[in-house]
Amino acid sequence: MTEPADAPRTPQPRRRSRDQAARRARLARDKATGPSRARAAPPPVVTGVLLARRASKSYSDLVALAPLDLAVAPGERVALVGHNGSGKSTFLRLAAGLLELTSGAIEVAGYPVGAPEARAALSFVPDNPVLYDDLSVREHLAYIASLHGVDASEEQLNELIAAIGLADRADDLPARFSRGLRQKAALAVGLVRPFQVLLVDEPFVGLDVPGREALLRLLDEAHAAGAAIVVATHEPSYVERVDRCLALRDGRLIHDGPTTPDEVVRLVGDQAYAPGA
Amino acid sequence: MFTADPDADLEYSLAEWRRWRTRRRIAELAWIDALYHAELTGLACAVAFYALAGVIGGAALSASQMADVSRTGDAWLGLAAAVALAVGLRSGSRGGPLVLEQADVRHVLLSPVDRRRALLGPALRQIRFQLFVAACGGLAVGFLAAHRLTGSTAGWMASATAFALATVALAFGAALVASSLRLPSWAGTALAIGLVAAAAADVAGAIPASPTAPWGRIGMWPVQPAAPGIVAVAISLVVLGAGLARLGRVSLESAERRSRLVGQLRFAATLQDVRTVVVLRRQLALELPRLRPWVRVRVRGTERRPVWRRGLRGALRWPAARVGRLVLLGVVAGLALRGVWAGTTPLLALAGAALFLAGLDATEAMAQELDHPSLTDSVPVTPGSLRVRHLPVAVGAMALVAAVGVAAAVLVEPATGALELALVCAPAAALAGVAGAGASLVAVPDPVEALLMPPEVTGAYQAFRIARPLVLAIAGTLPVLAARAADGAGGPAVAVAGTATLAVAAGFGVFVAWLRSREALQKALQAAVNPRKENRP
Repeated sequence: MTEPADAPRTPQPRRRSRDQAARRARLARDKATGPSRARAAPPPVVTGVLLARRASKSYSDLVALAPLDLAVAPGERVALVGHNGSGKSTFLRLAAGLLELTSGAIEVAGYPVGAPEARAALSFVPDNPVLYDDLSVREHLAYIASLHGVDASEEQLNELIAAIGLADRADDLPARFSRGLRQKAALAVGLVRPFQVLLVDEPFVGLDVPGREALLRLLDEAHAAGAAIVVATHEPSYVERVDRCLALRDGRLIHDGPTTPDEVVRLVGDQAYAPGA
Repeated sequence: MFTADPDADLEYSLAEWRRWRTRRRIAELAWIDALYHAELTGLACAVAFYALAGVIGGAALSASQMADVSRTGDAWLGLAAAVALAVGLRSGSRGGPLVLEQADVRHVLLSPVDRRRALLGPALRQIRFQLFVAACGGLAVGFLAAHRLTGSTAGWMASATAFALATVALAFGAALVASSLRLPSWAGTALAIGLVAAAAADVAGAIPASPTAPWGRIGMWPVQPAAPGIVAVAISLVVLGAGLARLGRVSLESAERRSRLVGQLRFAATLQDVRTVVVLRRQLALELPRLRPWVRVRVRGTERRPVWRRGLRGALRWPAARVGRLVLLGVVAGLALRGVWAGTTPLLALAGAALFLAGLDATEAMAQELDHPSLTDSVPVTPGSLRVRHLPVAVGAMALVAAVGVAAAVLVEPATGALELALVCAPAAALAGVAGAGASLVAVPDPVEALLMPPEVTGAYQAFRIARPLVLAIAGTLPVLAARAADGAGGPAVAVAGTATLAVAAGFGVFVAWLRSREALQKALQAAVNPRKENRP
């Protein structure tokens, strides 16, 4: 899809005036309750950029995630493995703030999940991409970047689009994409903004070989820039690239530490984890 | 890696992008289609106005009738306000009333943009539309009612409009507050039932005034003191303001679930796909089967009568909400039929609707079978036979619903012979509820039937096809009507009711035969309509 000649120009970002910035800071200080309290308070001293304290999630009498304690250090690479229904996606969605905790707490960069600072520090790429029907890939990137206060140049956006392998589809609507292309667009959206923690759910599903290589390269770049990366995957070989592997079974953490692909298959005990499956 | 400007005005960016998207949507709008939709909406409004005029009537009320309206009008309007408020509370306790774009939940609400300001636009758009519709409805009702009531036309129009606006603002605001407080679903339902019950008691004269009676006073301004109504308007505005102020505390989990399901729900509703509406509504309310059944029935290998055992196991996992709903529907059907017996014939429709809705829950196992046709086709049993084998459990469940109805009908006003009559009428109600729901489940558009219809009656046939399940369910209430007629004529009410129940049971037999051989009948009709096509390879 090409932009019509008379199409309105996409909006440009704007900085707050000094008055607005001061008012915003005052409002943040004045708010005594809820997430905005964290905005005014200085960040507490934390041992991890992503902290879970007895975090759990239940649906009625179904326990999706048993109380979980976890700390992910800045710059750490973590693989999250487990059966279907073991609680991987539930944990990632809890950390992103898309699900509400049944008990316990999760902090991102020292702020409770859901606080504006936590939202600014965490990027979540889900396994089921949800994108706007009326925005092209390039427009998506410009939009999401502006929502995070990023003033990205056209060259920077083009670089990201090319890196993810969507250069020739940048002006097309993702609503008409295949599953794999939508996954690529969602990854680009997740990477177009700053973050200290990147959560990626099943990123390899539906991706072709060049797409996988591009993804691994981009994850390495994010890691090199100091971000903590948590990837939920069914790809046993991926654990060789990480510092730490967390294995979940029936919502419980059964392993936390370095591991190998064979060990993953033994831990999870599922033929679905056999290489090539 | 990208870096953020800490002083970037995120809310301004969001607003600008939203304006940009709106401008582009308008630029790409197909004006002919939009005008066509506007014309259809105008026609629908004209038809609704005409129908409303028929319902309200045109003859001026007598002095005694006007006195009745003045005395009880606020209670009736209070009941309407209670129903609206109940809908709002139930919606709020399930994450409503906002319906957001799913991508907005993922991208806007997960960004550091101020959530209250991000949600204010969609919330104001939604309430603006609802207030507009309420104002139009209020003006129309006020205009028509003024012809029958004493007082100025302008006064009644203003009064009805103010009532509609205040009620909508209250319901919407209450929904927002309930949502921001994360009111549990059961609490929302309990509050809703309490409010409607109190307003109904006010209408019946059992209590002096219900909590929503002041809203009724708004609609009676031309003939009643204004003070309570003014207080009600003020409360509505405060509740709406509180709801808008707490917008930022929305639950993302509920918002995402709603954004995903509500669009599908509306689409299914426009297609009159009752089963899909039921399934999506359950998902919206998180109505999941129990992990632990109420009573555990052990599986001992391969069993005889697997279909009805499967139905029984499914019923034993019904969540408490569904059991509660069935009890409530049983009570509604029982009370409505008691009202029919007392002379209010239109309550037949309410009883039939309650039985139909209960039937939709009772026939869940059969519905699941129809939801998975590839599974059904893979077993060596004809689909019709399989459907019929699901009926015993459904009839059993509806028998329990009918028993609740019997208890409600008898206890509301104990009388000699009431229990006997109710027990005779109950089986017909149970069977008709199952038949109505069953007909709805298998009521896919039938091209052969459509072919047989002359083009002039196709529209009427489609209307009949849609109404058929409800008509079947209402048929189950006929024994009450027959008994009332016999009683009025001094005949044996119970005996007549028994005969009518037998007639309904015979009708249920016909329904079972139709359910069993539906495909064969369709094939026979197809062959009769187009015999050559049948012989094609």
